[in-house]
Amino acid sequence: MNFFLSYIILAEIFAIVALSTNFLVGVIGIFSVSQAAIMGVGAYAYAIAVMAGIPFPLALLLAITLCALLNVATSLPSLRLEGDYFVVTSFGLQIVATAVFMNWSAVTGGTSGIAGIPAPRFSGLSFDEPENFVFLSTFALGLASAGYWLLMRSSYGRTLHAIRLDELAAVAAGRHVLQMKLGISAVSGAYAGLGGALYAIFMSFIDPSSFEIHVSVLILTMLVVGGARTLAGSILGPFIILAVPQMLTLLALPPHLIGPLRSLAFGVILVSFMLWLPKGLAGRKI
Amino acid sequence: MLFLQLIADGLVNGCAIGVVAITFTYVYTTTGVFHVAHAGVFTLGGYLAWYLSKEGIPFVLCVALAMVICAAVGAAIEKGIYEKLLKRQATPLVQLIASLGLLAVLQNLVAILFTPNVLQFESIAWRMKVLHFGPIDLTIPQVLTVFTAFAAVYGLIYFSTKTNLGRRIRAVASNRTLAEITRLKPFEVYVYVMAISSALVVLPSVFIGLDQAMQPYSSVLVLLTAVIAVISGGLGSIRGAFSASLVMGIVQNAVLIVVPGRWSIALTFTLFIVFILFRPTGLFATKIRRAS
Amino acid sequence: MKLFSVAMAAALGILCHAIPAKAQEIVLGAVLPLTGPAAQIGLEEQQGVQFATDRINADGGIRGRKVKFIFEDSQGKPDQGVLAFNRLVDLHNTPSILTAYSSISLALAPLATRKKILVVNPAAQTNKLDDASPFLVNTIPLVRDEVEVMTKYAVAKLGKKAAILYENAAAGVDVRDDFKKAFEASGGTIVADEAIEFGSTNFRASLLKIAAAKPDFVFVGMTVGYPALADQVAQIPGFPIGVGTTFLRPIVGHPAAVGWFHSGIKSGMKPEDEAAFHKQFNVKEMTFFSREYANSAQIIFKLIDDLIAKNKPLTGENLKAALFEIKTFESPTAKIVFNSNTAKREVEIFRATATGRELVQASVN
Repeated sequence: MNFFLSYIILAEIFAIVALSTNFLVGVIGIFSVSQAAIMGVGAYAYAIAVMAGIPFPLALLLAITLCALLNVATSLPSLRLEGDYFVVTSFGLQIVATAVFMNWSAVTGGTSGIAGIPAPRFSGLSFDEPENFVFLSTFALGLASAGYWLLMRSSYGRTLHAIRLDELAAVAAGRHVLQMKLGISAVSGAYAGLGGALYAIFMSFIDPSSFEIHVSVLILTMLVVGGARTLAGSILGPFIILAVPQMLTLLALPPHLIGPLRSLAFGVILVSFMLWLPKGLAGRKI
Repeated sequence: MLFLQLIADGLVNGCAIGVVAITFTYVYTTTGVFHVAHAGVFTLGGYLAWYLSKEGIPFVLCVALAMVICAAVGAAIEKGIYEKLLKRQATPLVQLIASLGLLAVLQNLVAILFTPNVLQFESIAWRMKVLHFGPIDLTIPQVLTVFTAFAAVYGLIYFSTKTNLGRRIRAVASNRTLAEITRLKPFEVYVYVMAISSALVVLPSVFIGLDQAMQPYSSVLVLLTAVIAVISGGLGSIRGAFSASLVMGIVQNAVLIVVPGRWSIALTFTLFIVFILFRPTGLFATKIRRAS
Repeated sequence: MKLFSVAMAAALGILCHAIPAKAQEIVLGAVLPLTGPAAQIGLEEQQGVQFATDRINADGGIRGRKVKFIFEDSQGKPDQGVLAFNRLVDLHNTPSILTAYSSISLALAPLATRKKILVVNPAAQTNKLDDASPFLVNTIPLVRDEVEVMTKYAVAKLGKKAAILYENAAAGVDVRDDFKKAFEASGGTIVADEAIEFGSTNFRASLLKIAAAKPDFVFVGMTVGYPALADQVAQIPGFPIGVGTTFLRPIVGHPAAVGWFHSGIKSGMKPEDEAAFHKQFNVKEMTFFSREYANSAQIIFKLIDDLIAKNKPLTGENLKAALFEIKTFESPTAKIVFNSNTAKREVEIFRATATGRELVQASVN
């Protein structure tokens, strides 16, 4: 049942990316709208590495490390820029990233993308079939969730919340706010990199359209609908949002209306949640 | 004279972006909402005018009607959504996400009502006519873009400094809490501001549509460019936002002399990110702060 | 997990009546960009498929069995395309799927191989589709085949200085690369090379740069936005003539494009069929996309007919085998030959005139 499994797999991958966004938006209060770009870097890095013959674990590690570093770099402006200023910078980063994916053809394959990305094999078991891959993605999400859970319950996690609520007080209390912010950005980047690499493996094809500004907004929608700052919210959101288009295909609508109606439905969902349930289904106040 | 022509076209683009920028900043400094859905109103305005012109209504009337309808839509957005959010003490993040949702609603409403196809104002013959200004050629819609943009800027500045309502809006923008106590009725003021901004943003939308063509999903980039101009110009300054828009329009086209077109967007946004890091207050920061 | 997903899919199936009530009905799928910047093309493609389907059903179906096409929206995005593909195969068990859009077809290719589904591509042209999957067949020649014909003609008749205007998308970039290679190999020089973002309608800066470089002609590799392009070309005095592939066809008829050349993959419909199409969908013209998708649907019908006649099960593998066995598909207006996964078609060259277009070079193979 590939249809249902591919839905689960994609939702799990996006849940990992939603957790990445949650670290920034929910936990520390850095409003990033460019997580799709970071995810894209992870996907490209993995694809390029693996196709250059680097073995799976190393390629994955490379993607994760690169994204962690990059996410620290892209979060740096937030130290200097306040709320809305950073939003615009983040939008800008997303646009620059898409332009680079599209135009740096020598590395990214440009608009033709990269096709035929091989799936890893472990002792004869190939992960290109959804019925096998689902174990990989579930395992990855399990690991990511455990990481999130443990981190939020540690004293580090509690300090992060304190910084979001009152940065000055945290500074006054002798917390190393800068290091903490950069640290959590790195973790968030690593999550996005993991999500991106899994995405590249599962689709076996990537191109710039999968990591555009709309995808960043979609990830944000997932986070908001599920609920920010909780583990359950980040997992619930992707499963619900990805189910909406699937449900709409079940209605007998004229095909040329399906697309705009689906996007319209997303818009209505977003506005309604903000008006009546800004905490999402399982989140806390944002 | 390729270079001069590119600069002239850039100036025209800058004027169009400028009107989006000044109306965005007018909403932002007064209501405090990061009104991304402005791009949706922009799209709606162009398509409304297109639809009316197709029905044989005189062009000037099409623009006027589109402006009136968009003003009503803007007012409805304020009354129906932003006001509710503000009264519930929604954080800026919640407001922004709601606005993103509204943007999706407006764009796709346009796609459903008028098809997602690229549309042209086929019923208007003069849109293709070219005027010559020495070595520079501009189409009539381009010339009109420039005229209406300057009219919008100076009109808005005049309105905001010389009329009672304009001064009331500025008073509310500078301090909402005080405005509430002094019975300036800030929420009523916000509705006016949204209506005015939504009406004005129809102008560049129609003239860009006349000059090139329209597409429901292309306005996001226009808005982002405008927002970048707003920030570079210094939040809260109408003149600053407009000047920065002109600079951006010209720079975007001038770099084409040395850079392939496909890198121009990336280059402009990178320049902005670097600029904002070194000068977060913009070029012409004024004392008007955002309402909080 | 398996049991759960089976149960879920069954539930979904009941919801949308997916499990065919009539065992006799043949269900096929099409993954088309019904929304996004390419939505217009997607709609034309859909109408072509619908037209062919309605026709065959009006004639009593394929050997008495009705045909049904299920349309899925890819939004022009590969991941949505993959989901749509899986939905078609899992819920509807379609042995063959029509695809569209270069990037999506490339994303579907590995799935076609794995699931052994015959994926038929009637319009995407990127060269990578040639050997993307043994189960992916292209019913039109790819970019390189068409560009080769057109370049030869241009070198002989138009000059040795050219500019390129292309869409920054898979097929557009292929046009740029293939033309550049072919043109430079025959001693030509590229004096300007300008990209346009897919779906954009402001071409002025690119056009100005091209005009300023004063080429003998400009090779155009675009799929959408022709009305706006024609308008903006008209506003630039002395703009060079344009040359392009089948995809340049929509610009014919615009005054600014008189004297432009384009290669065309020979195809068409009987006038009475075309009239019926106009009537059914209330459109002025049966476009290239509608024709090609109707044509490709008919090819699939023919394969199914063959399998039913031989009493073989309708599987992707059998369909593929039948395709290479029949090999030549001749309709009154197009001859399609499959020596490899990419069809051989006749390519002609046309010149746009004030009233339409004239044939300037008959078909070469």
